[in-house]
Amino acid sequence: MFFHIVLERNMQLHPRFFGRNLRENLVSKLMKDVEGTCSGRHGFVVAITGIESVGKGLIRDGTGFVTFPVKYQCVVFRPFKGEILEAVVTLVNKMGFFAEAGPVQIFVSKHLIPDDMEFQAGDMPNYTTSDGSVKIQKECEVRLKIIGTRVDATEIFCVGTIKDDFLGVINDPAAA
Amino acid sequence: MSVASESPVHSSSSDDLAAYLEAELDAGSDSSAESSEDNAEAANLGSKRRKLEHVESGEEDEIQGVASVTYSEEISKASSSKGACEHPGSFGNMCFVCGQKLEETGVSFRYIHKEIRLNQDEISRLRDSDMTFLQRKRKLYLVLDLDHTLLNSTILKDLKPEEEYLKSHTHSLQDVSGGSLFMLEFMHMMTKLRPFVHSFLKEASEMFVMYIYTMGDRPYARQMAKLLDPKGEYFGDRIISRDDGTVRHQKSLDVVLGQESAVLILDDTENAWPNHRDNLIVIERYHFFASSCRQFEHDYQSLSELKSDESEPDGALATVLKVLKQAHKLFFENVDEDISNRDVRPMLKQVRKEILKGCKVVFSRVFPTMAQPEDHPLWKMAEELGATCATEVDASVTHVVAVEMGTKKARWAVREKKFVVHRGWIDAAHYLWKRQPEENFGLEQLKKQGTEK
Repeated sequence: MFFHIVLERNMQLHPRFFGRNLRENLVSKLMKDVEGTCSGRHGFVVAITGIESVGKGLIRDGTGFVTFPVKYQCVVFRPFKGEILEAVVTLVNKMGFFAEAGPVQIFVSKHLIPDDMEFQAGDMPNYTTSDGSVKIQKECEVRLKIIGTRVDATEIFCVGTIKDDFLGVINDPAAA
Repeated sequence: MSVASESPVHSSSSDDLAAYLEAELDAGSDSSAESSEDNAEAANLGSKRRKLEHVESGEEDEIQGVASVTYSEEISKASSSKGACEHPGSFGNMCFVCGQKLEETGVSFRYIHKEIRLNQDEISRLRDSDMTFLQRKRKLYLVLDLDHTLLNSTILKDLKPEEEYLKSHTHSLQDVSGGSLFMLEFMHMMTKLRPFVHSFLKEASEMFVMYIYTMGDRPYARQMAKLLDPKGEYFGDRIISRDDGTVRHQKSLDVVLGQESAVLILDDTENAWPNHRDNLIVIERYHFFASSCRQFEHDYQSLSELKSDESEPDGALATVLKVLKQAHKLFFENVDEDISNRDVRPMLKQVRKEILKGCKVVFSRVFPTMAQPEDHPLWKMAEELGATCATEVDASVTHVVAVEMGTKKARWAVREKKFVVHRGWIDAAHYLWKRQPEENFGLEQLKKQGTEK
């Protein structure tokens, strides 16, 4: 799920960036530092949308670096248990398949793939129904349900299922 | 979907839902004696237990196709708390069936994904389900080592001056197909593929599902796989490196998802596979670079210094391919029968027994007098190769393995025009999977080598 929230961060800035463009420098450094990172609480920071406030800078002894407390608005993405997500399949093997939804890596076990879908080995491994009408293979888009999540410092892992109504392949670029 | 519209789960009134679950619960508990016992227990345990059973019956609904999205979270909680989930494995320390957080258990399959772990039952289940697939596709598993088996690599700074000429003979990394010598400057390495390796992989891929298993690290393994298999058609994600094994300095089939009775291993180091010797085909080491010879304390000149290479049609890989073909043929003979109980290991032994078939070997002064000759490794090796061993000479003997010409048996052999060879003849047959010409292993050669040194 996406959220638009306000976060705070203490930014350290080198003295060479002081001057007229201080604010721009601060913002571009913030974007570089924060976008694309994860936190267990908020999930993955997708983009910074605005600066709420920049607090008073504090000069550090010895180094001359200045620390600014910056409040910023950003869009974060965090998967939840029970959430329905759309993801792209990255790897298929006999254990099940792996998929990605942006920064989130999801594994769907063979146990949670409908029983009528069978694994087919080969150079393009896939899960196929007995009539061949539905096929899950690399690059496919699937709709799945999250049954567990773990958020690390830089990565988010989920386990998912497609053994439920309205879940499974939604688009197969290979078939199109 | 019609079922969904009929489903009471989707009805707006929560009373309806409770009534429905109650009815379901009663129906479920009547169906078996065991669950009525459960019911009695549930009464004792009170309302909490009852709530759990409500949820359980909710799960049955789900199986019938009456989906419950809102209650799914409770269902998964319920199924884990009642202990129904066996946690066959985990992804990111979460059970991939129920989503519950788990301690680190089972075998890590890092070469597939760094977070995936499977427990033993799941591994055996996967291996079993594979046998049917094998039967259909007529394929076995082949685990291949990289260094000294399929290729030879050296660090650039270890190149001798005599080998500098190689730098101008390297093949472009842009299009690796067809090339055999590559300079990997970003890894400070040069790699030479063994002659015949391309044809070997192509033909073997028709009979085997192939794995790479190397003691090198992961980036090296991936890079070598790219050289051997640029299209990714042979190995796919089945590339196991040192970082992925379960035991340090050892290779083991526990991370290979194939039944041990259907796996063949090709490696130059027998000691790397202490638990799977019967699956192993030992191949003669491929030393192309001088540094590689030094590593194994061989003092002869390397192939690169001699500006030569192994023979393409008669090299070690070509011989091994023949062995693989024979073993594969034996395994899939009479496929109409049930082959799920077949084992490739005795078949490999059978192929090996063809090598010295028809030879009767007598040993002269090879074994210490005190020891039982039957226990000696050389005796056993000769028997594994299909030769018959004897302690006394008679007319049916074909070969005398001796250390010097002076012995009674050796002189007898010369008189009777039998072959007199040194033990290298048996060793060579063992490593090369082929009966060697006896004249290359006469005792004169042994003497000559001795004086040269």
